[in-house]
Amino acid sequence: MFPTPVEKLSPSINIGYRFLLPLTLFIWLLPLLAIFMTSIRPVIDINTGNVFGIPSQFNLIENYTTVFAKTDAWLYMTNTLIITIPTVIISVALACITGYALAVYKFRWALPLFFVFVAGNFVPFQILMLPVIDMSNRLEILNTVPGLVMFHAAFQTGFCTLFMRNFMKALPFELIESARIEGVDEFRIFWYLVLPLVKPAIAALSVLIFTFIWNDFFWATVLLQDDAKLPITVGVRSLNGEFVSQWHLISAASLLAAVPPVIMFFLAQKHFIAGLTLGATKG
Amino acid sequence: MSEHAMQTARNYETGKLQVVIGAVLLIIFLSAIYSIQVSGVANLLDYDREIEARVPTFLVRMFFVLMALVATFMIFTSTALYKRNRVACAPWMFLSVGMTFFLVYVIVPIFQSISYSFTRWNGLYDITGNWTGEWVGFYNYRLLFDDPNFVTSLINNVLWLALFMLAVPIGLAIALFLNQTVTGIRFYKSLFFFPFVISQVVVGLIFTWAYNPEFGLLSEAWSVFFCEEKENIVGNMTKVCSIDPPSILGEAKYATYGIIAAGLWPQIAYCMILYLTGLNNVSPDQIEAGRLDGAKGWNMLWYVIIPQLKPATFIAVVVTVIGSLRSFDMIATMTQGGPFGSTNVLAFYMYDQAVGEGVGRYGYGSAIATVLFAIMLCFISVFLWRMYQDEKVVH
Repeated sequence: MFPTPVEKLSPSINIGYRFLLPLTLFIWLLPLLAIFMTSIRPVIDINTGNVFGIPSQFNLIENYTTVFAKTDAWLYMTNTLIITIPTVIISVALACITGYALAVYKFRWALPLFFVFVAGNFVPFQILMLPVIDMSNRLEILNTVPGLVMFHAAFQTGFCTLFMRNFMKALPFELIESARIEGVDEFRIFWYLVLPLVKPAIAALSVLIFTFIWNDFFWATVLLQDDAKLPITVGVRSLNGEFVSQWHLISAASLLAAVPPVIMFFLAQKHFIAGLTLGATKG
Repeated sequence: MSEHAMQTARNYETGKLQVVIGAVLLIIFLSAIYSIQVSGVANLLDYDREIEARVPTFLVRMFFVLMALVATFMIFTSTALYKRNRVACAPWMFLSVGMTFFLVYVIVPIFQSISYSFTRWNGLYDITGNWTGEWVGFYNYRLLFDDPNFVTSLINNVLWLALFMLAVPIGLAIALFLNQTVTGIRFYKSLFFFPFVISQVVVGLIFTWAYNPEFGLLSEAWSVFFCEEKENIVGNMTKVCSIDPPSILGEAKYATYGIIAAGLWPQIAYCMILYLTGLNNVSPDQIEAGRLDGAKGWNMLWYVIIPQLKPATFIAVVVTVIGSLRSFDMIATMTQGGPFGSTNVLAFYMYDQAVGEGVGRYGYGSAIATVLFAIMLCFISVFLWRMYQDEKVVH
């Protein structure tokens, strides 16, 4: 293990490390802690410059209920869910089948097509923006949730396919081969043999895509205009304009927007990290 | 032998049935796709306005298209052609849906955008549905280099790219710091990773507040060094500073650095988690061997550990490059390109020119996007080349 475990070093380093750890964490998360402290203060504290001291009043519940009462925060949250969940289902499902095709079959186009998916996943959003707007407009789905979901699902298919293909590549190929010799149909091999084996990958992908889509801002601004359909990320930004310098409310709303991905992360931490670091260990 | 023949015959029988069912379904679904109309759905679902009926119409259409595809597959899988070449045909059937989606929404738009960049167009069609733009050749590209905002954006993009790279060594440093086994370390690791999970918009808002010169986090830290509490004439305590705290987002010379610093926060967390996973997989034998050879500290890190972290470094560099060129959310939340266009990057400037308020320069915007894409393409090619080398080794 590198660096050498502190337990094996001198006692002063050992103890020093244990003190240093919470301290660095505190500094690292300082912006977050400060914004949380701001979100539970009354407005008067902010105006008098009491940022770090003890709040003159603890307004945790009051500030957060104000956010819900005064704004459409709740609507924005449900909108985000309506966008996020179908996207996760569609893109993960598509990735399972495309990833299977690219991982299991050895045909000449497998690698070039795989690289098309990988490359497409890396392109800047701006190069897609205008044609996607134009196409959605012609399909009459501009400014609708299905329009946004379709785009997200299609775009995320690139990343998901990359992920699934690499995961399936690591499966024991002899298993599939022997099933084929038995005369099992290709679709049955996929459904009964491969799909159960990639369940962990499905879980990891779902958690990741959920977070990606929840945090999406660009495409929601581009493809949705109707205020009643906006997701929370766009909503929070517009609140910023609405509550000029009412930072206790802005910070409360921002933190609310961050809650679901954070919960998702802590519930499925193992999958989440496995998903993000796939490929960081091989080779 | 006879059993095999029986099996083949049975397959043939089901095949015939399959064709008939498939054909019937295909005809039904195709005619449904053809006949479904927005007004029809509006009547069926009792909507007052046709506009509201668009979404259900679209969904119903999608459903029928999908069903038609399934029916086609039913017919195709029963043909002799498929039965003889199962392994050759199957991947294309598996790929069909995902590939179509990806082609329509990602690959084709890239080329469309490039073609837009040679036109002057405001994104509109005339009443009969004809395109209203005109071809102008390289005109947009010639305009680009006389546009001071474009040059600023380009310089800022280089800045972003260069400074964002700091996330890789800092991430490695934090990962080394956290790669211990003391109690509760797992908890610390996940809290250090925390900023990555939060939306960039929220990170942008947090830092906008932190940079606020009057009551932000930075002004608070500033006053520790440069300010003191003094009693004024009336007898109240006020803060008097020898140097006023800078307004980071308000001044053109600091603003971009301020946003990059904010962007680094989640990016460092991402690089850290990549390196933590990498460190977990460093072979203990090699560390032991290095120790026996007398390698310690920096030497050990440089000659034994970092070479083994190569895959993690590769991914960290990839995601950092992509992240820096995609920086949009932070700029949109924190400064919207201001003050005086000093924080524009290509990604934001393109958005601003193409669909920003009062502007509809599709052609010009596409030219900016094409430049950004060309820059990205250089990096993408390198990544793909590296991946290709890895794939060759595997096979």
